[in-house]
Amino acid sequence: MPREPRMRPHLRSLRNRLLLGVVGGVVLMWLVAAWFTWRDAEHELGELLDAHLAQAAALLVAPAAHEHFHEELFARAPHLHRYATRVVFQVWHEGQLMQGSGNAPSQPLTTLRSGFETTEIAGQRWRVFATVGDAPDIQIYVGEQLDVRDTILRAVLRSLMWPLLLGLPLLALAAWWAVRLGLAPLDRLSHKLAQRQPDALEAVSLDPAPTELQPLVAALNTLFDRLARLIETERRFTADAAHELRTPIAGIRAQAQVARGATGDAERRHALDQLLIGCDRAARLIDQLLMLARVDAGQRGEGGPQELGALVRLAVAEQLPGLQARGQSIEVEADAACAVPGAPVWVGVLLRNLLDNAGRYAGPGARLRVSVAQLDDQPQLTVEDSGPGLPQADLQRLGERFYRAETGLASGQPGSGLGWSIIRRMAEVLGLQVQADRSPELGGLRVQVRWPVSPRAPVR
Amino acid sequence: MRVLLAEDDPVLGDGLCAGLRQQGFQVDWVRDGVAALRELGSAVYAAAVLDLGLPRLDGLDVLRQARQAGVRTPVLVLTARDTVPQRIEGLDNGADDYVVKPIDLDELAARLRALVRRASGQAQPLLQVADVQLDLAGRQALLAGAPVVLSTREFDLLEVLMRNAGRVLTREQLEQQLYRWGHEVDSNAVEVHVHHLRRKLGAGLIQTVRGVGYLVPKV
Repeated sequence: MPREPRMRPHLRSLRNRLLLGVVGGVVLMWLVAAWFTWRDAEHELGELLDAHLAQAAALLVAPAAHEHFHEELFARAPHLHRYATRVVFQVWHEGQLMQGSGNAPSQPLTTLRSGFETTEIAGQRWRVFATVGDAPDIQIYVGEQLDVRDTILRAVLRSLMWPLLLGLPLLALAAWWAVRLGLAPLDRLSHKLAQRQPDALEAVSLDPAPTELQPLVAALNTLFDRLARLIETERRFTADAAHELRTPIAGIRAQAQVARGATGDAERRHALDQLLIGCDRAARLIDQLLMLARVDAGQRGEGGPQELGALVRLAVAEQLPGLQARGQSIEVEADAACAVPGAPVWVGVLLRNLLDNAGRYAGPGARLRVSVAQLDDQPQLTVEDSGPGLPQADLQRLGERFYRAETGLASGQPGSGLGWSIIRRMAEVLGLQVQADRSPELGGLRVQVRWPVSPRAPVR
Repeated sequence: MRVLLAEDDPVLGDGLCAGLRQQGFQVDWVRDGVAALRELGSAVYAAAVLDLGLPRLDGLDVLRQARQAGVRTPVLVLTARDTVPQRIEGLDNGADDYVVKPIDLDELAARLRALVRRASGQAQPLLQVADVQLDLAGRQALLAGAPVVLSTREFDLLEVLMRNAGRVLTREQLEQQLYRWGHEVDSNAVEVHVHHLRRKLGAGLIQTVRGVGYLVPKV
């Protein structure tokens, strides 16, 4: 048995898989987009604010800014905005803090002479820009707390995430609805199948069937059709078998009763002989029914190409004792090289039935001839006899189940009417053409069997 | 009692013939529908056993055509076709009894006797004229309650005459009823059997209608 791929239970549902795929995919895309936005925003914001720091420093460098420097007089700029506490500046002159914002520490913000630096002051992380003033002994620092930037970035991200959080349930709902709508035909199909009677094997119709479901529906219908035909074959076989066995069994029973009630030896012996004949015929009928059932079920042997002549000789050898018992002779012209495709068992069955029929109905002392020829690349087998042959009407009805030609009745040969059914079905299965007519040379029945085209493969 | 058997299966036909003969019937056997229809029309048979799956003419067609032609012979259909619709079809087409194969020979004989009995408007399985009784199932004759030993032919002849009590039967009619095909009939066979019957059962039972035939008077 093939191992089923293991799958977590909740993923066995197509609906769950689709939902998970759609919603998960959207969330992932959103997160990726948010990450990129965050990264870009952080970068741009950093540059922008750095530029502001540089700009602010430039303002402080301008000579006008400290024309009125008073020696040893520290000027503190007023707070003008609530964020102002997060921005500081210092102007140092000869190691002396000359100017600064209100919240500026009394130490230099950094030891750097010029450029940007990220540093930590009193437990806070700062972004500091240092530059030299208009005189080399003036050192200017402008700093900004880094968490300002984080606050802005977080605000950006928040505005990005809110719609997702709000939209996600809506999206899930929409996806669920779409999936449900999309899978509805599947539900209808399974509902239809579930509602069927166990013996209902007619085609399923899904109207309208979505394109994706059409192959499934078609495959199901093919399966139903094959099953129905198989069951029909079985049923017909059972019916035929039961029906056709009634008569031989009635005969056997009657003869047994006659034998029991017989008053004379001759009468009893006759009844017992008839009883044995009846048993043999019932057995043969069973064989034929079973063979027909196997052919009906489409079982066919496999194998490479076979030499037709060899199969003919084998079949003739098997049938010879029966033919000789009826004083019949048989000619075999099977020397032509003729390869037929595979299935030697079925070709054998076909040959046996053809020969058996010919021997049975050609009458005592008849001549039979089996010949093999290659005609236009097609192997051809001919079985003919010198018997009475069959009138046109009978030729047409040959192969109907249990149809017994009158000639068969006249010859006193009890047939089941199944031999030709087997031959016809066999021909169907093997793709052969079978033709029955009058033999121009021997005068009796002639049956010609033609194979489609000789296989190219070499013959042993 | 002469019956027609139409059956195409050689073993079953042979068995039914032999079995029914053991039961005292005279049996003629035909193997196809055309022959069956022809023989049914001859009206010499007390009853017929008809297989339905006959070659040349299906048993149902034989039955239909025979009934259309006015044949009143009781027909027992013996067949492998066993479904209820098939049974109904058989009976509606003129069968008097419908039996599915296989069948016990004793039962078949009993059913045939019952068919013949009913056809002659008689409910009792005993035929009685004056003090002579015929037990058809046991094939026994009783004279005033005492068994009388009769040969097969004598019994058959007496049965035919008593069954047709009140009617004059010609010698040819009696011969047809008594002898199946292929049996040589002596020109005076009927006279000889009548003679024996009169000796065993009394002279008054069978009357001779000179120049015509014989008669068992209705009491």
